[in-house]
Amino acid sequence: MQLETNGVCKYFGGLKAVDGVDFSLSSGQLKSIIGPNGAGKTTFFNLLSGFYLPTKGAIRFEGKDISRKSMDQVSQRGITKTFQITQIFPRLTVFENVRIAAQSRKTAFNFWRRAGRFHDVNGKALEVLELVMLLDSRERIASNLSHGEKRYLEIGMALAAEPKVLLLDEPTAGMSPAETVDATHLIRDIADRLNLTIVLVEHDMSVVMEISDDILVLHEGKVLAEGNPKTISDNEEVQRVYLGGGK
Amino acid sequence: MEKKVDYSLRVEMTNMEKLTDIKREKGKVGFVDKSVWITLLILLVLPFLISKPLATEILIYGLFALAFNLLLGHTGVLSFGHAAYFGVGAYAGGMALRYFHVSVWTSLVVAMVVTALVAAGIGILAIKRKGVYFAMISLAFAQMFYFMALSPFKKWTGGEDGLKFIPILKLEFPFHVDLTSALPLYYFTYFVVGLAIIALWRILDSPFGRVLKAIRENEVRTRATGFNVNKAKFLSLVISGSFSGLAGALFTVYLGYGSLMTLFWMTSGSILMMTLLGGMHTFIGPVVGVGVFMYLQNTISVYTDRWQLFVGGLFVVLVLFFPDGLVGTIKMKYRERKSRA
Amino acid sequence: MFDLSWEIVAMQMIFGLALGCVYVLMAGGLSIIFGLLDVVNFAHGTFYMLGAYAIFVAVSLCGNFWLGLVSAVVIVALVGGVIEWLLLKPLYKRDPLYPLLLTFGVSICIPDIIKICFGLIGKVVPYPSGFMGAFMLGPVMVPKYRLFIIVLTLVVLISLWLFLNKSNLGMIIRASTRDSLMTQTLGINVSRIWTIGFMIGIGLAALAGAVAAPMVASIPDMGVEMTIECFVVVVIGGLGSLGGAIIGGLLIGQVVSFVALFAPAWSNVAIFMAMAIILIIRPRGLFGEEGRL
Repeated sequence: MQLETNGVCKYFGGLKAVDGVDFSLSSGQLKSIIGPNGAGKTTFFNLLSGFYLPTKGAIRFEGKDISRKSMDQVSQRGITKTFQITQIFPRLTVFENVRIAAQSRKTAFNFWRRAGRFHDVNGKALEVLELVMLLDSRERIASNLSHGEKRYLEIGMALAAEPKVLLLDEPTAGMSPAETVDATHLIRDIADRLNLTIVLVEHDMSVVMEISDDILVLHEGKVLAEGNPKTISDNEEVQRVYLGGGK
Repeated sequence: MEKKVDYSLRVEMTNMEKLTDIKREKGKVGFVDKSVWITLLILLVLPFLISKPLATEILIYGLFALAFNLLLGHTGVLSFGHAAYFGVGAYAGGMALRYFHVSVWTSLVVAMVVTALVAAGIGILAIKRKGVYFAMISLAFAQMFYFMALSPFKKWTGGEDGLKFIPILKLEFPFHVDLTSALPLYYFTYFVVGLAIIALWRILDSPFGRVLKAIRENEVRTRATGFNVNKAKFLSLVISGSFSGLAGALFTVYLGYGSLMTLFWMTSGSILMMTLLGGMHTFIGPVVGVGVFMYLQNTISVYTDRWQLFVGGLFVVLVLFFPDGLVGTIKMKYRERKSRA
Repeated sequence: MFDLSWEIVAMQMIFGLALGCVYVLMAGGLSIIFGLLDVVNFAHGTFYMLGAYAIFVAVSLCGNFWLGLVSAVVIVALVGGVIEWLLLKPLYKRDPLYPLLLTFGVSICIPDIIKICFGLIGKVVPYPSGFMGAFMLGPVMVPKYRLFIIVLTLVVLISLWLFLNKSNLGMIIRASTRDSLMTQTLGINVSRIWTIGFMIGIGLAALAGAVAAPMVASIPDMGVEMTIECFVVVVIGGLGSLGGAIIGGLLIGQVVSFVALFAPAWSNVAIFMAMAIILIIRPRGLFGEEGRL
């Protein structure tokens, strides 16, 4: 097990956003987390990435307990994420956005050399931009990108930090159907090419069914069901609570 | 055994290799940006354009503003009490000169070290808190130092009159310079400030400097990328404070005594205004802001005592209509015209 | 140590309590403005100063302290409303730094305007008749005016609490914080609500200044120190709740009062040292940054 949680809970006063979730992930898997609004998906993600401290329970990565690690510590250990609301560096160029992410693993606190002179960091940034199809836009100011391009940029930033596990929080949110198809292929491509472990939170069921190895269904902070796409789509309870005669 | 993630993307390497050698980022000449060279050049001849004391003050406050802006414009942290560092530097330098009879060079170093320690102390207590709290706490500490210098520690600081009876200022190393004479004093200050400006520019252009800018742009994203944001802010504060202290020590050398006004809250306010006037999102903007502001102050205060009203009004207009400051607005207009061409 | 009878201590506590109430009013106003508009009002002390001047003018004109007090608060609150409407409102959509900077700019302009109108010499407002001097509560001498301030603050706080929690307008105000989704969906004219909220905060500051006026001379620069002291209260108590403002204000009032008695040379420095000590022990202030434990 590369990443696992044991009875992890997050309570906000009286609100039990996540209430005892057991989760496990093996290396190289692409696992999706689905559930209706308010099921606790994003909160769970925030627990995994260190944005929230768990109220109860434990989170273990590669055998070590990371429950109380801060977001930057978790990231350094190899779990990076994208946010539900895109978080990029708006006034910096696309290239600089990714370059900073690449820098985080190699030369964080160097004072004297010119940042532009670290060729390996620059090279990494360019490779990632090529991968997320933003190489031609590298000199543009990030805030000028379209919504879809910004989501790709954020994925690129998460990749540039060379993670072992990539957490994607609703990556296709706000994308057009065409962009969603491209994004879906990109994510699966990244997973295969880099042999990367990916956890995905998604609302778009077509995306989830197409690329996931495994699916976890959350409802009201608890695990409702778990299994491969076929098992989940056949599960009656899941259909009732979530799919509800829709897709 | 788990397969390691394979990051060896070797996609069309020939293209990559060409791009990797990122062409000299536009505008750089030698080891700093051309705007820095231009400014240093202008400052070189400044004492022949305006009065020498005014020019010296512009140098000193210019350094102070650049140091202040490291924290504000480049890291995104507002300190409302930077007078603390300016003033502590002024007094530390002055006390070293007066009570320990050190050389002027030593007094500058002492000032930087002491001020760095003070900044570290304040940083440990306050840098982790939300921005508004840091702004308030920094102001409170500056005020504390002011009152300490005014009353309980009057015996050592001279109270309201300031730290007087500093020995005659001169340099012996590397050659004799009489620092009570206006022109040598100016070029001594120019030398120190010039080095400091280059140092600050290099720091901002380093990987560390890039992290600061990232923090300013999006703190959450910077954290999520794996940077220890608190540590970076702390270091930024210490560097900013230390260079502000250097400016303060230079101010004491310039005045010939340690002034209590260096700790006064209005000093914190002025440096904020001058920085904003010049443009806080550019490197050299603050220096321009200082130059314009001090020139105006010099001219207008001849006519009226109500200088604060003018300054405050100007500030309000700036905040409402020209938030990018002089240099920032010019830069934007230049970019707009270029992209239209 | 000198001959310290507990009567002197008790009287000093009452002085501290009265001073604390002034701080409470100030910090409360600041908290309301922050809670509603997400703006730290760097000009808060300036409105305190305006309150002190307004009551001076009002009392000089009509001769009645009470009328003067009420009109001072109302007039200054209106001034605050105008400033918010014209200068602050355009900045809400920008980086949160800018409204803050604007209030700072205002805090520099206004004292000079006062200096032009009133000169530099302090203005004195006489104590209201009937509240001069002191009475004996057992062996302890209780200054009447100080007691008035304490009672007034209590009344104001209770009314404020009732207003904010029980009245329609009050609940709308509480719901209309600048970052709440409700403001966009409820269709209420939020802009006006914000102005009203700002005016309430300013009104509290003006009230603090007006009641303080007989005790101190009104000088144009009195605002800055009060702003800074107010910040200390809020750093200690948290910007989020009236509770924090109350405890912080009363605490600081006592600190200042007793240090003035025992070590006058340190009286200006004391509150900052208190802040530093509290920051060392509890880095997030006594009640955490939100004002809640």
